Order: sequence, then structure tokens, then C-alpha cells
Amino acid sequence: MKQEKHLDLNRRDFLRGSSLATMMMMMGGVPLNAAEENPLVNPDGSTTYTGQAKPLPVGVIGCGTWGREIISTLSTITFGPVVAVSDTYPAYLKRGGRLAPEAKQYADYRELLADENVKGVIVATPTHLHKQVVLDALAAGKHVYCEAPIAHTVEDAQAIAAAAHKAVNVNFQPGLQSRSDKQMVNLYNFRIKAGIVGTRLKARGQFHRKMSWRFSSPNPDREKEINWRLDPALSLGIVGELGIHQLDLINWYFGLNPLAVTGLGALVNWKDGREVPDNVQALLQYEDLLFHNYECTICNSFNAEMGVVYGTDSAIMMRDRHAWMFKEADAPLLGWEVYSRKDNFYNESGVVLGAGGTKQDTHTAKGAAILDAADPKSPLQYSLEAFLINSYDHAAGVADFTAMFGGDDLDALRDYLVDSQKSRVAAATLLDGYVATITAIKANEAIVKNGRVEIPENLFKLG
Amino acid sequence: MKTNLLNWSLNLAAAVALTASLNAADDFIRYVARPGATVTINGTSSIHDWEVEGKIVGGYFKVEPEFATDLSLKSVPSVTTKEKNPEAIISIPIRSLKSGKDAMDRIMQEAMKAEENPMIKFTLKEMIVKGDVPAEGSPVKFDAKGDLAVSGETKPVELVLTMERKPNKMLVFKGEQKLKMTDFGITPPAPKIPGMDMIKTGDDVTIKFEWPVQTR
Repeated sequence: MKQEKHLDLNRRDFLRGSSLATMMMMMGGVPLNAAEENPLVNPDGSTTYTGQAKPLPVGVIGCGTWGREIISTLSTITFGPVVAVSDTYPAYLKRGGRLAPEAKQYADYRELLADENVKGVIVATPTHLHKQVVLDALAAGKHVYCEAPIAHTVEDAQAIAAAAHKAVNVNFQPGLQSRSDKQMVNLYNFRIKAGIVGTRLKARGQFHRKMSWRFSSPNPDREKEINWRLDPALSLGIVGELGIHQLDLINWYFGLNPLAVTGLGALVNWKDGREVPDNVQALLQYEDLLFHNYECTICNSFNAEMGVVYGTDSAIMMRDRHAWMFKEADAPLLGWEVYSRKDNFYNESGVVLGAGGTKQDTHTAKGAAILDAADPKSPLQYSLEAFLINSYDHAAGVADFTAMFGGDDLDALRDYLVDSQKSRVAAATLLDGYVATITAIKANEAIVKNGRVEIPENLFKLG
Repeated sequence: MKTNLLNWSLNLAAAVALTASLNAADDFIRYVARPGATVTINGTSSIHDWEVEGKIVGGYFKVEPEFATDLSLKSVPSVTTKEKNPEAIISIPIRSLKSGKDAMDRIMQEAMKAEENPMIKFTLKEMIVKGDVPAEGSPVKFDAKGDLAVSGETKPVELVLTMERKPNKMLVFKGEQKLKMTDFGITPPAPKIPGMDMIKTGDDVTIKFEWPVQTR
């Protein structure tokens, strides 16, 4: 405080006495306090550059529960101003608008797309309505963040993928948040990719939560509308709507697309007239006989949500964005392992794999606190931040490239955009979103028919 | 009347001068920048060396038509004499330079005042063949002089350019230049990251580029 006061005084004196300073300089004197005038340097010598991202004004289409979660999250991000919201249902539009008081409210999303202030849109409508909204948004030249699954049918997913691929001037990001979540990205980059599980065997995943999955409304038409998840013609069921992030995580960590899926499903508990199963299992098969056994139920909540990747050296368990490694006795000792903390689970001991703590920190109280603390940013926040930054940079890249070389050669522009992604913030790509959606569609198909569905390899290729 | 006459003759002189310079430019063929460029800037810091990389180098190169046909370059006055000079502008958008960390990119843009001065710009003043020209006409070295504008400051620079002739009338110029950030009024970033010592960026940087140009 004293230091600042002293500096202020110097600065003021320096400005006030500028004529004196000029005179002194003419006499050969050097004003020593001139260095302090550099506004880019703090008294301790560090610079004042902020690295702050430039704002990308966005519109949110769909103000249901998840859409409002998105608006709330955006309100905590300084560079993602929500300038417009849209919903066909007046009560939802009003509620969405309350979370973004500065935003214009549009009942028709096409009016939102015509709003020139909107540079990017987040599509959080029911899955079966994504296609037209996304196609119109891309045609309007908006960057698009489309919630996952991106579609409920192969045809719609293909239409979205084709349109997004063609729209070279804008950024498309599917809402697979784990792909941006620092916890999961670091786990992948520093542990999974490094092969700490040994020879890979299999993965297991589960989503257990007891809930009706039904929304209530006094209006029967509205009740049907908001419960689109319970309509087998419009919904990918619990495996698709609840499980897609976990299915995607294993596709990502395996680096593979599934070849086939065997499904089992039944409606056991919530027999309220719905036809969508409430208790399902999908066995996804990959090359080299790797498989992912995924269980999803809304009838029991034991052990909640988790995933495990198994190999010959260890198993890695992921839950609540934390991860632990359970080693085999004959597995080689890893260099960093000795620094790591261990947690006990029943009669097993797991090495904590945390992002954020340095290896020297992990066995100190400070390190333990870092590992135990929840990441202050949610996966959704990481994901939206990635969308905002990458969209801004994408637009800048398009503008710079076309200013220099013209806008005629779209293939050259596309190559440049692919080639200049060195600083791209980790985020799901169009292909990731498409593959995850196809995986969910096929898993649901297998569950509905209680059988096996082959997935032709070329179905995962774009175009 | 006298004043009018004076004005008239001045205008005429200006017009003649303008026509002459236009004619000179008309004689020249124009190579324009093509995609496929690379530019790297390498520097140091108190923790590790760093590199930023860009893929956009724009601009043009104008020279006598003989430059394209006479591989010996002997009949090209602008690269063999100092009386005539080729024209070239090389420009690099600062925000196209990528470090691998988006926040570091933005700090670099702030340090280089990219909002006001979005381009690194080199204006060629002189370019003379250095050494022998190989019989196949490539690669050729040139002693080049020009003005380099970065962050609102312009400084004269001298560098050796290497030119390679490629198929389809493409030329690729390569160059390298050592610079000091402070010469261009740039305060080297010294970010303070919580829990770490201050990272200090060194003043010296080396910029390298490969610049493909082609006649239309």
C-alpha cells in the first residue's frame, strides 16, 4: 500500500513537473522515474498483459433446464455475452431471459439468427429439433455449439455433419464437454495416452440414478412436448440422452470407433405409459476384441456415475472428475508414482491421478487439498469457453486468410484452418460429435431390439 | 495568371512524374503471395525457449518480366543494379501467429499492440544478387534492404533472401532476421502465474519465413 502511494506521488509529480523534466533532459539529466511510467510494467517487473479473450456475443436457442444452465454458466464467463435467447414456449423464454437481462428475447429462433449482433449460437433444443436449427444457423453464418447427441437419427446426424463440414467460415462444436474438461483432458494426455494401463482389456461404465425422467405440466399438450425423451420415435433413450458423454469418453480413450453393439433393455419401474426402457445395458465391441460394457438405469442409484478402463498393468477408475489407478502387483513402477497419494476403497488402494497438483505437491497438505478440491470450473464452463475462444479465432483466421489470398479457394482455406490449430483450446470436433451420436443411435437400436447391431465402418466417415 | 501558370506547370510535372512511375510499374510483372507459407518466431524466456508459428504471409513482389525468363538474372536491372529496384511488401497478421497456448497468443498480441498494428510488414527497398546464380536459376541469394514495421515502429533492416524457383512460375523466398523486441517499442512479456516465479521473456527473437509467390 505504502509502495503504491509512493509511486502515485512520483507519477503525479512527474506529470505535473513535465516542464521541469524537459528542462532537465535538455541539460543532460535522465528522469529516473520515467521507467515507472511504462503502463505495461508492474512495480515488481511483471507485465500487465492480461491475455483476456475477446468477447463473442452469443444467442441461446432453447431455454429448458439445460439451456438455462448454459445461460447461467455463460453469465460467469466475461467473454461470452448472451445477447439473445429463444424458446417457443413463453414461460421458458421468460425464465431464460431473466438469467440474461440484456438479451433480446425471440419466440422464433429464425429471428434470433437474423440478429446481426449474434455471432454464435448454442443449440439446446430437444435433440429431434436440432437438425433444422443447426442447418439454419450455419446458413446464417453463425458459429454453432450443438448439444449432444447432435441428432436422434442417422439421417439427421449426417445432414448436420455435411452442413457443418461445408460451412468452412464458422466453427462447429458438439456439446461433448468432457473433451474440454481439464480433468479428463489431462488424464487422457498424461496417463491414458502414456499407456499406464498396459495392454488394454476393456472398459466399464455406469450411470445409476433413481429418477422418473418425466417433467410435469398442467397442460397435456405441453406435457407431451416436454417429455420428448419418453417418446421412442424422438428419443435415443437413457443410453443416448444420459449416456452419450460416457460412450464418447471410451471412444476417445480407446481412440477407436465401435464395430458392433449388443443391447438389452426393459421397462421395469416407471410404467406410466412410456415405452422407453428404464434399465439398459450395451456391450460395445471394438477392434482387437476390446469392449465397453455400459450400464444405465434410472431405477437404482447405487455407485452413481463412473467409468473404469482396464489393462494388464492397472485399472483406472473415473468418478466425479477424479481418477485413481489400481495397480497389479507385477506392473512396473512408474517414476511419478512414489510421489502420489493413495486413497482406500474397501480393500483396494488407488493412486490418485489428479490434474492441478504438481508431483512435489501431492504428498503435502497443500497438494492433498488441490487433489480433493473440486475444479472450480464445470465441464460445461470449459466446453463453452473453448467454443467462444475457438470460434473467435476461427473467424479471425478466415478473415486474415481471405484478406491475403481471397475467398475463392475454399479447399485452401479449409486446409489453412486445419493447419493453424496449434493453439486451439481442447474441444470436441465435428467428427467426435458425429461418431458419438452414431454410437448412441446404434446402442439404442440394439437395446430396443434386445440384440446385436453391426456398425459398418464407413458409417463413421464424414461425406 | 502567373500563379496559374506556375500551378499548371507544377501539375504537368507531377502528371509526367506520375505517368513515368506508373509506366515503370506497368513494365513489372506481379507475383502475389500464395497459401503454403510458414513464419516462425523463436525466442527465449527464464523457463524455456519458445516458438510461435504462422501460416499466412501475404503481399506481392514486382519485378521486370525478364526475372521470370532469364534464369541468370543478368538482364534484370532491378536485382543487378542499385539504380532500379523491385517492389515487394511482405505482411504477416500478428493474430495468425500461434504459440500452442491461446492465452499466450493473446499476450503476444497485446505486447505487439495488434489492435492498432495488426500486421508485421516488410517493405523492400533494394535487392541485389549475392554471389553466383546457378545455371538452373535456383536457388539464388540476394542482399536485401528494406523497412520493417512492427507494433507501430519502423526500422531499416538488411537481410539475405534466398529464392527458389518452383514449378508453375512459383517462387519461394526464404529469409531470417534477428530482432530485439525493445527496438520496436515492445515490452517483453513477464507474466506472473500464481504459485510460480515470474516468467521473463528475453528481448532477442529470430524471425524466419518461407514465402511462396506466383504470377497470376
